[in-house]
Amino acid sequence: MGANNLLPGMQRIVANPRIRWAHDPQLWVELFVTMNLAILAVDIYIAHSVNHFQKWPEYIPLYFSICAPVLLALVIALRWIWNFLPPWRDIGYLIGWLSILVGLAGVLYHLESRFFLDRTLKSLTYAAPFAAPLAYTGLGFLLLVNRMVEVRTSEWARWVILLALGGFFGNFVLSLTDHAANGFFAHTEWIPVISSALATGFLLVPLVTPVTRRYLDLCMAVMFAQGAVGVLGFWFHMQANLIEPGASLWDKLVNGAPPMAPLLFPNLVGLAFIGIWAALPHVPEPPVGKSWLGTAYAWAGAERQWFPAD
Amino acid sequence: MSFRSVFIALVTAFALILAAFLVNRARPNVETDQPTADFVRASGKCAECHARLQYSVVHEYEMSNHAKKGVNCLDCHQPAAGQEKIDHHGFVISKHLTAGNCRGCHEPIYQEYLRSRHAVPSWAAVHGTEGLTPEQVNFAETYQPGSTKRPPNALTLPEGHPAVAAGCEQCHAVGKPNNDGTVGTCTECHSRHTTSVELARLPTTCAQCHMGPDHSQIEIYNESKHGVMFAAQRNLLKLNADPRTLTTRDMFVPTCATCHMSGINGLKVTHNPSDRLSWYLAAEVSTKRPNYLQAQINMKQVCTQCHTQAAIDRVYTQAELVLASTNEKVLAAKSIMDGLHKDGTLTGPPFSHPIDFTYFNLWHYDGRTSKHGAFMGGADFVQWHGNYELLLKQTELQHDADELRREHGRK
Repeated sequence: MGANNLLPGMQRIVANPRIRWAHDPQLWVELFVTMNLAILAVDIYIAHSVNHFQKWPEYIPLYFSICAPVLLALVIALRWIWNFLPPWRDIGYLIGWLSILVGLAGVLYHLESRFFLDRTLKSLTYAAPFAAPLAYTGLGFLLLVNRMVEVRTSEWARWVILLALGGFFGNFVLSLTDHAANGFFAHTEWIPVISSALATGFLLVPLVTPVTRRYLDLCMAVMFAQGAVGVLGFWFHMQANLIEPGASLWDKLVNGAPPMAPLLFPNLVGLAFIGIWAALPHVPEPPVGKSWLGTAYAWAGAERQWFPAD
Repeated sequence: MSFRSVFIALVTAFALILAAFLVNRARPNVETDQPTADFVRASGKCAECHARLQYSVVHEYEMSNHAKKGVNCLDCHQPAAGQEKIDHHGFVISKHLTAGNCRGCHEPIYQEYLRSRHAVPSWAAVHGTEGLTPEQVNFAETYQPGSTKRPPNALTLPEGHPAVAAGCEQCHAVGKPNNDGTVGTCTECHSRHTTSVELARLPTTCAQCHMGPDHSQIEIYNESKHGVMFAAQRNLLKLNADPRTLTTRDMFVPTCATCHMSGINGLKVTHNPSDRLSWYLAAEVSTKRPNYLQAQINMKQVCTQCHTQAAIDRVYTQAELVLASTNEKVLAAKSIMDGLHKDGTLTGPPFSHPIDFTYFNLWHYDGRTSKHGAFMGGADFVQWHGNYELLLKQTELQHDADELRREHGRK
């Protein structure tokens, strides 16, 4: 009896007009970018502590990641609470462009650490992770997409999926080069490489060919697997750091397996989900039966929220 | 769901995975066939910082045989038994590297070195038994009798610690006792990150210490036919040839290492130069070493790789005649000094009178130079830098002794 009441009760909450904001994919993308920039501050602090912020440009992403989320949170509040749009648009553009710049400059700086000394695959493996700063570029593009492309269109959804794909491809490169530094000593180090390759492959399809909702179901299943891989990776990295020698836990975290890196997987699952969810209304229902995602979409009343009958 | 979608997804994913496997497979085995992940990471991760901080260190290592054979930074820098450990950016390394780190792979060579005068006796020549354990002293005395149970060098006190630390110890640390219980560091001759056999074969490497008036081997070598030919033909020599298969085709002109250590043409390699030395040439009055006969046979075997037996015997006979003559001259001078001490003319600590220096220079500089010159083919060092100086100082010594006796009212 209780269970019978639970689902309708939840449905009422989800469909409540007072939380209409929760159905806005544009807001979710903004929150995703804000949260990621903030987390990057911690990540950068750990990563650049390896060489004690030896060069002053290493502080740029740190300060950027501290300031940008605060500003973004402010303009998001102005936009979604007080319906004041111009600051959200213009500050967002500014942060977006700066973020792209920080990312691209970061790639060059990271390559400079070793790669430009002797341009070999080996030096690329052991250089500072050259693909990592592209996280900023991806986040910057997300801010621009959110402002330059009309939300809830198929194009918007595809751009978001593309950027999630870019993230997973980055994960593929990072997990490959990072684990190559260990010579894939533990076979489990191949898991994120294989997993992110699958994610890249599956997210590529909606961008290059029409897909069905059943395919998007499969995409989400692959994405859930990515989330599990991320959590498993976090556990493995923490375990390795606790076992590894080091003067202190901080020393182990700084010099050991990067604890935050595997969490990129569940993080990107979130972005991919926003894109897939936003793509759903533009993908026809299968002729026989309903897809899992389509059912969830209808249950949540998303169509009613954004495509009212009037 | 269309087949096309799944096909594209899986083919793309598979292509990426295949590319990853192929790239990883292309890595040299020496990089990846390591006992732990730390060892795999070591070379690249260490170089990532040190190539910027100390480029030459990484560059020298990359050119070394160690690098070619997959011996990476951690192999040498990991703490050996008894060494102080430090955490270093995720690696546990030794605070100070010693011969203890090299012996992990080169134990027989370390054992040979340990029995040589390059080991503990070298340190004892400056500091006596100070800093040595009784076991180290006994071990050294077993293989090099009279080399270690001795007082510190009489010059260390009047010259003072800074001179000893920056001077004497720079060479004599080749046999310095380490905190981990081992002795010396192999890098004195092989350099640190170069770890080079080529470097150890160069006369200039030995000349870091075997030079100057007290042991002028490099000057003598440079004057000798061996040295002249080396200067002319060093570019034609294969100085980096594998010690196990070294022949006179590689080293057709000898350097110090060729005669004193190398296993040329199948002879036994040794890291104990005493194996081929028949006399204590550096001694005040030279005597035969305990292994005189065997050592002379060993050295003559090396000589025969290039010279006829008659020529070798002639050189040895001539050199031993010079040695005997030098001994006589030193003994004559020594008897003058002993007489001064005996009759009370000369008192006080060593090196407190000019005549002490005259006598010291006589045997320590000129006597040694004369003997080394004779055995190493340095004619000028036998004559002008050796015997002429011996004669001069012998005369000065006699004159000074007579003056001192007159000053003290003795005849």
